[in-house]
Amino acid sequence: MRGSLHLLVWLCLAAVLVFLYAPLVPPLLLAIRDPQTGAATLNNFAAIGADPTLVSAITNSVLLAAIVGIAAPLLGLAAAQAVRSFGLPRLIITIVLLPLFIPGVSMGVSTSLFFRLTGIDPSLFTMAVVQTLWALPFAFLIILTVMSGFDTLYLEAAYTSGANRLQAFREVELPQIAPGLTGAATFSVILSFNETVRTAVVQGGNNTVQTFIWSRYQQVGLTPNMYALMSLIIIVTLLLILVLVALGRKQQQS
Amino acid sequence: MSLAVKRRDPAALVLLAGPVLLCALAIIVPLVLTLVVSFWERKMIGMQPGFTLTSYGLFFEGARFSVLRRSFFVAISSTLIMLLIAYAVAYLITFRLKPSRTRIFLFLLSVPFLVNYVIRTFAWAYLLGRTGPVNQFLLDLGVINQPLDWLLFSDFAVYLGLIAAYMPFMVYPIWLSLSAIDKRLIEASWMLGEAPLQTFLRVVLPLSLPGVFAAAIFGFVGAFGEVAVSQILGGVGYQLMGNAITSSLDVLNYPMAAAMSTVVVGCMLIMLLLWLRFFDLRLFLGKVLGR
Repeated sequence: MRGSLHLLVWLCLAAVLVFLYAPLVPPLLLAIRDPQTGAATLNNFAAIGADPTLVSAITNSVLLAAIVGIAAPLLGLAAAQAVRSFGLPRLIITIVLLPLFIPGVSMGVSTSLFFRLTGIDPSLFTMAVVQTLWALPFAFLIILTVMSGFDTLYLEAAYTSGANRLQAFREVELPQIAPGLTGAATFSVILSFNETVRTAVVQGGNNTVQTFIWSRYQQVGLTPNMYALMSLIIIVTLLLILVLVALGRKQQQS
Repeated sequence: MSLAVKRRDPAALVLLAGPVLLCALAIIVPLVLTLVVSFWERKMIGMQPGFTLTSYGLFFEGARFSVLRRSFFVAISSTLIMLLIAYAVAYLITFRLKPSRTRIFLFLLSVPFLVNYVIRTFAWAYLLGRTGPVNQFLLDLGVINQPLDWLLFSDFAVYLGLIAAYMPFMVYPIWLSLSAIDKRLIEASWMLGEAPLQTFLRVVLPLSLPGVFAAAIFGFVGAFGEVAVSQILGGVGYQLMGNAITSSLDVLNYPMAAAMSTVVVGCMLIMLLLWLRFFDLRLFLGKVLGR
């Protein structure tokens, strides 16, 4: 009786995982299939490099991921430190987490109106701003979690031994919370690399890989090249997640 | 918290308050601006400052209002379905798995979530299509003798897409509040002779409500403003609020997009305020904040 109940629990959880992982498979299969013959081929990937719009979309995605991967953790760190020092935790947390509670379209519309009215043309900058605001809550929460495991007594000890605030942060706290920062950075890169709707609203003439697929779908539908692109995105994302896991392992060992 | 940590020097104040202020402005100013623009007038290819309720009027009487109603219904009903699934999953991993396995399961749950949901939605469109694997499988099994049409471009497909996109995210808040429950309370209820169902209804469920409500907000936010799932899996003409907003943007009707966006954000803010009114943020983020 107990054994079969246990089995049932496992089956339920396995079913949920199958449901969630199933959509990761078709793009990979369709990407390596020749649309005419159905034979396995890598031509769909080769065609990516021949399309200049696509190459620039990939460059944009990489640049944006780099910017967001640096900006979001830094802002998250500042906000998390402010939560600890200023005594207004509720207000700061609510504001920083607000983008989590606002649908992507609304956030995109708001920022694009803001840029339009302030005369800032759509560019990589506007895209980076939107994506950073989206990644910030996640980066902030990760850093806040790591910081809560750091005993502030160490800081006091540093102050008593004559360190100023910056020294105490750099030499005592930073090494301890560094895994959180790298984790937040990786997470931000993943989020930036996988964001469509917000970016699509403020992109102007630029494209990321994601918005390229989206707009191509709306114009002509999906082609084998698109599946190749999707596979690339899935593979890169999974690799980045492996990096996250490795970082987590390292943190546990140290 | 010690005084030493709280001590303030001007440089640190600027270094910390600056970025926080910048984020606050970057998040709040555009939202306020959207509210303002929603009262502006539409010009041929732009907008013009003024105060008019035209956009709201058009929104609440036209075809767009039926989109709002449908959006509301789809968002609420899909949120309820997602809550049931997410709660069951969170309950099983909290109380039926070893803590070490819980962490692994939560990790596995978040991997697909990190892969762009538009791509996952495309994949679902393929899986559910007339010639797709699901229909093929059912045909081969002999369960059906012709492909099912309602699998794709239907309410079913939209709900499935929404669940796949937002349900994993809802497990976390519920798990957070379930795992924070003092096990002794459950044991006490058992020792006082309550049946398992009564224990669940009168002890576990009430104590997990902050997480449930947070999860409900996440699900509702996603489903209400949805753009991709409705377009890809709902088919031509299946519109939710997100689609209505982007199509207003496409025809450069900024005041209308702003008005609809304001209504959506307004709904969110009301839910968020209710959440903050009934539950303390620390109750929920207690673990994270370390107190």
